[in-house]
Amino acid sequence: MQRIVQRDESALAELYDRYAGMLSSVLNRILRDTQAAEEILQDIFYQLWRTSSQFDAGRGSLPGWLAVIARNRAISRLRRKNPAAGEELAENTVIVSFDLETAISRQEIMSRVTAAVSRLPKEQRQALELAYFEGMTHSEIARHTGDPLGTVKTRLRTAVETLRQSLKQ
Amino acid sequence: MNGHPTREEDFDLYALGALEGDEKQAIEEHLSACANCARKLAEARGRIALLAFAAPAVAPPPGVKERLLREIQSGTARAEETYASKPSAAERTPGFFSDWRNALVASLAVAAALAAIFLTTENAQMREQMNSLRASFDQQKKDLAEAREEAEMFESRETRMVALAPMPGHAMTARVLYNAKMGMVMADVQAPAAPPNMAYQLWLMPKNGSPISAGVFNTAENGASMWMADVPKGTEPMMFAITLEPAGGMPHPTGPMVMTAKTS
Repeated sequence: MQRIVQRDESALAELYDRYAGMLSSVLNRILRDTQAAEEILQDIFYQLWRTSSQFDAGRGSLPGWLAVIARNRAISRLRRKNPAAGEELAENTVIVSFDLETAISRQEIMSRVTAAVSRLPKEQRQALELAYFEGMTHSEIARHTGDPLGTVKTRLRTAVETLRQSLKQ
Repeated sequence: MNGHPTREEDFDLYALGALEGDEKQAIEEHLSACANCARKLAEARGRIALLAFAAPAVAPPPGVKERLLREIQSGTARAEETYASKPSAAERTPGFFSDWRNALVASLAVAAALAAIFLTTENAQMREQMNSLRASFDQQKKDLAEAREEAEMFESRETRMVALAPMPGHAMTARVLYNAKMGMVMADVQAPAAPPNMAYQLWLMPKNGSPISAGVFNTAENGASMWMADVPKGTEPMMFAITLEPAGGMPHPTGPMVMTAKTS
């Protein structure tokens, strides 16, 4: 990151090589529109280049932040809203307790997350996916699935708790 | 909400964006005044961010990286141009007429020079642009093929991972992903630099036949090295090993073994 602050273009290219796959996957899953996904991907790295000096490594994980921003922007585009307030670098600290810097460590965490999500009961998995990939709130999920609001809340709470336990180091 | 959220998963639900109305407002009011809970939220954001990995893997689109680098280069050029176009006080001449006449003369001179340069170099530039475009296209095709192969390896259920264990006296870590069917090996090593005129070499020891080299490497300043290597398709490894060899590597292992791992 320090090299990007010093305007080293090759450092930005390295970060792109490292994280563009992860971001492309989530952008395409949310938007299902290759062109829109490409635009957002390019914008995110351009913003990183322009505002790199604001990113304080002590405040959190860069790949975590990139994943949060990618999801926020894709959902805003999906729902035709302006990007959510509070996504600025300094205001959106993201702490990830895993190493995401190497391809192998990303592969490991991908296996762990995929396994944790696939082990969830179908209804919990559906609620989690509607919230994460479609940006739906509790009541929107309830309307979408036709289930009572209380049931949806319980399902989603159980799903995130299971995920939290699965990702404990 | 006057106190802290009562359940840890409240932070995850907030980070997920599922909360709404009073529930959302209450947690936001509390977070603005509680550093401890703000940290818990940052950790929850990190956990929820990892759900990005639950999306089906998609290779980065070709061309975006090049467009991004062009965009930042043109951004830098624009900034420099803006700065350079501001005249200093000493450069400003006193009279309107002399400004106008100088500008006209300068413009005509520049136009004439540009026309001459354009006419004499047009063909050469077009040829150069064509060659450059062709080279860029070929490179993009190559990058795309490599990215597809890499993504295919990650997605394959037949890809296996082994962690190599160091021999006594060697402080290093190494992990190897391999896919026998695709004939691909990816390695990630953290190790001190090899002694002068020496290099590390990764070997795939097949169940039948001689050891196969899967890469000669030395570690960078930060002690890390990562690469992909092709090996003959269908080669089932019995173990992986790293040896110290003369710089440039050897066709067969000759030096001391520094790390090993059995695959089954």
